[in-house]
Amino acid sequence: MIGNLAIVLFDGLAFGMLLFVLSVGLSVTLGLMNFVNLAHGAFAMLGGYVTVLVTRELGLPFLWSLPAAFIVAALVSVGFERTLFRRLYRAGELNQVLFTIGLVFAASAAAAYVFGTAQQPIQLPQFLRGVTEFAGLRFGSYRIFLIIIALVITGLLVLGLEYTRFGAQIRAAVDNQRAAQGLGIDVDTVFAVTFALGSGLAGLGGALAIEMVGLDPSFGFHYLVYMMIVVSVGGLGSIAGSFVAASLLGIADVAGKYFVPDLGAFMIYLIMIAVLFLRPQGLFGKR
Amino acid sequence: MATENAQTPLLQLENVRAGYGEAVVLDGVSLSVPEGGSLAVLGRNGVGKTTLLLTIMGFVNLMQGTVRFAGRDISGAPPHKRARAGLGWVPQERDIFASLTVEENLTATARAGQGNAGRWDLSSVYDLFPRLKERRANMGNQLSGGEQQMLAIARTLMTNPSILILDEPLEGLAPIIVEELIAKIGAMAKDEGMALVLVEQHAEVALGLTDQAIVIERGVIAHAAGSAELLKDQATLDRYVGLNLEGE
Ligand SMILES: Nc1ncnc2c1ncn2[C@@H]1O[C@H](COP(=O)(O)OP(=O)(O)O)[C@@H](O)[C@H]1O
Ligand SMILES: [Mg+2]
Repeated sequence: MIGNLAIVLFDGLAFGMLLFVLSVGLSVTLGLMNFVNLAHGAFAMLGGYVTVLVTRELGLPFLWSLPAAFIVAALVSVGFERTLFRRLYRAGELNQVLFTIGLVFAASAAAAYVFGTAQQPIQLPQFLRGVTEFAGLRFGSYRIFLIIIALVITGLLVLGLEYTRFGAQIRAAVDNQRAAQGLGIDVDTVFAVTFALGSGLAGLGGALAIEMVGLDPSFGFHYLVYMMIVVSVGGLGSIAGSFVAASLLGIADVAGKYFVPDLGAFMIYLIMIAVLFLRPQGLFGKR
Repeated sequence: MATENAQTPLLQLENVRAGYGEAVVLDGVSLSVPEGGSLAVLGRNGVGKTTLLLTIMGFVNLMQGTVRFAGRDISGAPPHKRARAGLGWVPQERDIFASLTVEENLTATARAGQGNAGRWDLSSVYDLFPRLKERRANMGNQLSGGEQQMLAIARTLMTNPSILILDEPLEGLAPIIVEELIAKIGAMAKDEGMALVLVEQHAEVALGLTDQAIVIERGVIAHAAGSAELLKDQATLDRYVGLNLEGE
């Protein structure tokens, strides 16, 4: 029983870390730049398909496909940001929602056209397959890998935002765009780079997700729901909030499905309702 | 406004019409500030002083005329390029970055300058305003009004500008801080030859710190004179600047 609990907690944490990588970029664009980018789910899906192409068509190792997924999603998102999204920064939230959800539909249709509607399996390297035994318990090697990656990303994000000059410029531009510009910050470029990093992380999340939850053209929609829950429970714009919320929801989801199968799928919604009822701004949100 | 200086002015506005959207606030404004020169911009509340500075920085709609800086036409340049070219604007609301520490406020936008490159760095602005050094780890939103103004000025100095553009820097500050700031702005303008545009409602203070002055009245330049000369011209001051009884 204790052993089961440990494994359930571990699996839940791993799923939570996946949700974190998928969602943190959305939290940043939504919270810092006030742009409702539902296409975040589509960028995640894009990253997934990049990994499928890189490993299957180019025959490159899975680990190589991860930076590729990040970079392609980042670059494509910047193309969209420069040409389309920036026109919507001053438009109402409804316009942003309608436009970006439209992009998810389009991306889903494009993925179905190119790759078909079937699940896309991928080949993992030997060391990520199977389980690792520890204290008599068997932990999935891939899940360990996922947790390590998410912790590294969290560390890099916090360091980058809190302790670098570029991070300070992002925060300055968010605090007061006009003053930032008047002091020489190219706010458009700072936001474009931030946006690209966020979308790149979504792409990386999409690539990491395949092994755990699969990949098909509905990925953008399906995981958008999880992303929105993570962002709203964690609080807009908070990296720590996204981290805590993603862990909580991942564990609740896995534990719910394991211990109370009848209720399992609803567990995350119950948590979301409870948290938002008590703290409408989210766990770490400021507004 | 006439400058006797033969060389190209550092900052020059020619026949500027500017405002917000379609609404015209400034009309037919021309002025120039030579290298190392200083200009007081006087006028009552709401006449367009801040709008003039926002026009120089490129934040408002320039409908007609040109803005030149260091010999280049910058009329179409975005604000961040103007700042990088050497325009050192200090906004009226101070606009301290609240989620940055005092030191981050200073370093996030710091740059080596164009001409007098590197004159200002952390240690020299801390020498200028020792209070900021004591408060270096505080967040931007934990400062008093006087500290905010010092930080706003220091933050702009850290960009090593070739002209300092101050929008009512003494507004709402305690008298002792006002004294300190006057002395320090004076030292920069007079002793170090930093070019200066100073918007101020307290005419005596502004005129004492500058060599030229303009008075704005409902969006046009109603009067232009040497600062020392205008200081003696009580009739003109009464007429356009008044006793400043409106307060804010
Ligand atoms: N953002 C704005 N939009 C429209 N009108 C404005 C805006 N800011 C200022 N104004 C108007 O422009 C005029 C000049 O304002 P301002 O330049 O702030 O005056 P001052 O700095 O001399 O007190 C005022 O009539 C004011 O109402
Ligand atoms: Mg003003």
